[in-house]
Amino acid sequence: MNRILKKLFSNATSLVGIILLIFFIIIAIFAPAITPPLSDDPYQVPRMSWDVDPQPPGSPMSDNIREVYEFMEKDVKWEKAICGTAEGGYDIFYGLIWGTRTAFKIGIITVLISVIIGLILGSISAYFGGWIDEILMRITDIFLSFPFLVAAMVLTTVLGRGLDKIMIALISFGWMGYARLIRGSILYTKEETYVMAAKALGVNDAKIIWKHLLPNTIFPVMVQGSMNIGSMVITAAALSFLGVGAPVGYADWGQMVSFARNWIIGSPGHAGQYWYAVFYPGIFIVLFVLSWNLIGDTLRDILDPRLRGEL
Amino acid sequence: MDNQKKVLLEVKDLKTYFFTEEGVVKAVDGVGFKVNQGETLGIVGESGCGKSVTAFSIMRLLDYPGKTVGGEIIFKEKDILKKSEAEMREIRGKEMAMIFQEPMTALNPVLTIGFQVSEALRMHYNINKKEAIKKAVKLLAKVGIPAPEQRVNEYPHQLSGGMRQRAMIAMALSCDPILLIADEPTTALDVTIQAQILELMKSLLKDFNGSLIMITHDLGVIAEIADRIAVMYAGKIVEYADKRTIFYNPSHPYTFGLLTSIPRLDIEMKRLNVIPGIVPNPLHFPSGCKFNTRCTFTTEKCKEKEPALIELGEGHLVRCWHADKVIEEARKVFKRSME
Repeated sequence: MNRILKKLFSNATSLVGIILLIFFIIIAIFAPAITPPLSDDPYQVPRMSWDVDPQPPGSPMSDNIREVYEFMEKDVKWEKAICGTAEGGYDIFYGLIWGTRTAFKIGIITVLISVIIGLILGSISAYFGGWIDEILMRITDIFLSFPFLVAAMVLTTVLGRGLDKIMIALISFGWMGYARLIRGSILYTKEETYVMAAKALGVNDAKIIWKHLLPNTIFPVMVQGSMNIGSMVITAAALSFLGVGAPVGYADWGQMVSFARNWIIGSPGHAGQYWYAVFYPGIFIVLFVLSWNLIGDTLRDILDPRLRGEL
Repeated sequence: MDNQKKVLLEVKDLKTYFFTEEGVVKAVDGVGFKVNQGETLGIVGESGCGKSVTAFSIMRLLDYPGKTVGGEIIFKEKDILKKSEAEMREIRGKEMAMIFQEPMTALNPVLTIGFQVSEALRMHYNINKKEAIKKAVKLLAKVGIPAPEQRVNEYPHQLSGGMRQRAMIAMALSCDPILLIADEPTTALDVTIQAQILELMKSLLKDFNGSLIMITHDLGVIAEIADRIAVMYAGKIVEYADKRTIFYNPSHPYTFGLLTSIPRLDIEMKRLNVIPGIVPNPLHFPSGCKFNTRCTFTTEKCKEKEPALIELGEGHLVRCWHADKVIEEARKVFKRSME
């Protein structure tokens, strides 16, 4: 484990990934300090004005909005929309900061639960084989046969809006890859003599899977998982962009981009007039996904058994 | 003399077949032998003759497509083929243990030596991790691993081949089994280490007064350690006797061939003998005696009918139509050493 960390930090590519990740982690942790929430639900992006069209960076909070907050006895600590406002006067900067937390939540929770489901089903399937394998793998096939984005969209539509609903949808159609991956590795590893030797000592099946097989097979899943954290965030953003994701006004990068949907081109004669509406949330998504991919890439290089000796 | 000793393991007419796509492979076809308490049985044979499969059948460790289809394995007066998988798990490691051929691959590369040696202890007795590791240190010391306190925290790749085999032995003996099955335990080691390991096994055997089944293709190893010997060929026992009889009075042409194909100082030979041909394909065994394609004594009878296992002398079984001729031939060759 120490060796892995050392390699992660000594490699330029992964260092960029790690720095980006640390940047996002700091933002997520200090979100309440950077942008103190103005409503009871901190994930509700405050509006800076009632304007329909996006307002440029630096535009002040409109007076009628300020009156509302003062009436609610909120202490408004910031008065300018640093990154401008999105359609409907939603503050982009606030959305970016609190959206980081959303991104971590979506990425880590969905991947973690998908990995756990995949590991359990895949390892049981591979270890016991026979009809258990047959049944579990056919179930996996059924889930795999749905196009991921469409299936997730349909499920969120059925379940309703909300972050938890998105996550349920992403997990429901995101675990199969891990199950397949771990099954393949275990099918290969379970033929090793040390598994037979453990059996000959009377070690039970659960212990053999947990202590002998998983530590030898889990690395590809870890790599896959870390890379998927980014893509899960993208998918969630895509769902939000399509309007089946987070509820309106929820601090979510996908939602911010979706607010920019009508303003991407700009107004006649002023191409790119509303660049900030799409640029800021876009760059956050790109950097977040990039950081996980860089880390995942390096992890794969480090853990690749063929490269292990040389590194 | 056999009758006075307690029989620990009796294998009767064991049949283990592999159901492959090309057909049924009769890897073990009617093998039977007895192992007395405190005795060592050697099983000798070429690669693919079914000796390892016999061992795995006794441990009941065979997976699909292998299956034991017939016979009895009486261990401590009970047929273990009738036991449930859970009962079997209790027996494995605790009452019978196994040492594997390749110490390089039989240890899990990601777990410490201490964990692996103490695993069976923790599985069978309710002891905590600390005590188990303490016991592991003692076991490692017992099998002659220097600085065992350090070694328990090391990983298999940090140990040499001989050390690993010692660790394997410690693993197998951790719960004081009464039957130890060693599947070519010295094959992967170089000769000096082989001798050390054999010495170690011999002295440990005396300590725990258990029985050993030593599976090997190395007659030197067998001569060193076994009391009785079963020679296997093509899934069957072709000769079964005590060590002296096998080495000085071989009655099966295959045993005779094996003995003359190793260099010996006590016999004058210009060239080492070679058993011609290869082990027949188990899917297409020759008719009659399975050794008839490679035997120098073959007659028409051998090709027509397979000989039964007949008793030549006390406790000396042989499966050959021409045992008398073989004995005569062997006498001629070994004459000098007999005198």
